[in-house]
Amino acid sequence: MAESKGRPGSAAQRPTGGDKAVATKKQYFRRKKVCRFCVERIDDINYKDVKLLHAFVAERGKIIPRRISGVCAPHQRRLTDAIKKARNIALLPFAAAI
Amino acid sequence: MRVYEELFIAKPDVPDEEVDQFVEQLRTHLTSAGATVDKVDKWGKRRLAYKVGKYREGAYVLLQFSAGPDTVKELERRLRVADLVIKFLTVRVDQTLKRLEKRKKDRDKRAAKRATAAPVGVTAPGQPLMPMPEAPAMPGLPKE
Repeated sequence: MAESKGRPGSAAQRPTGGDKAVATKKQYFRRKKVCRFCVERIDDINYKDVKLLHAFVAERGKIIPRRISGVCAPHQRRLTDAIKKARNIALLPFAAAI
Repeated sequence: MRVYEELFIAKPDVPDEEVDQFVEQLRTHLTSAGATVDKVDKWGKRRLAYKVGKYREGAYVLLQFSAGPDTVKELERRLRVADLVIKFLTVRVDQTLKRLEKRKKDRDKRAAKRATAAPVGVTAPGQPLMPMPEAPAMPGLPKE
């Protein structure tokens, strides 16, 4: 329901942003996914930041879809770009052997 | 002039001095072409995420410089020819930097505005400057 106001630019004003405790308190309500980049105000999604990017790559090296990770569309776009650049310079795998 | 980042991987079995020398060569090329080198950052040896040729690790070197497009073309050619380079990536960053700067400025401005608005009251309705002044706690949510 916070979705209707979920513009990334307005993240600063979103009162519920990242407040997971509020959502979990309501048992009948599925926990609201929030965009980590909006909540933590990460402006720069850099391809050199392997530690950050690793969180959005599955075990096999695939990019985690935003329907699962909860990242908003503008940030997912930048994230995808960064991951693909990181792959090109061997910071992240194209396909990892498990 | 545009700002670029050049990240390249040198072979791990090449001595450090040789890499330094190569970086120095690149630097002289850049400066002679009218570019300015802002940053040279050696990350040291890192494991590669996948095998490149027969190498499992490599020495990463990051260059940041501002130059014109032709200079970059020549730089890339040199990297391609150089024996000690296994992989390289050029990224243009000036637009990103500009965007980030703008966002930071906006954010600071907003924070300053909030700081001045806060002592007056919790919700200040008469503020037409901002399209969405702290939406007063959404109706559906339980109040503390």
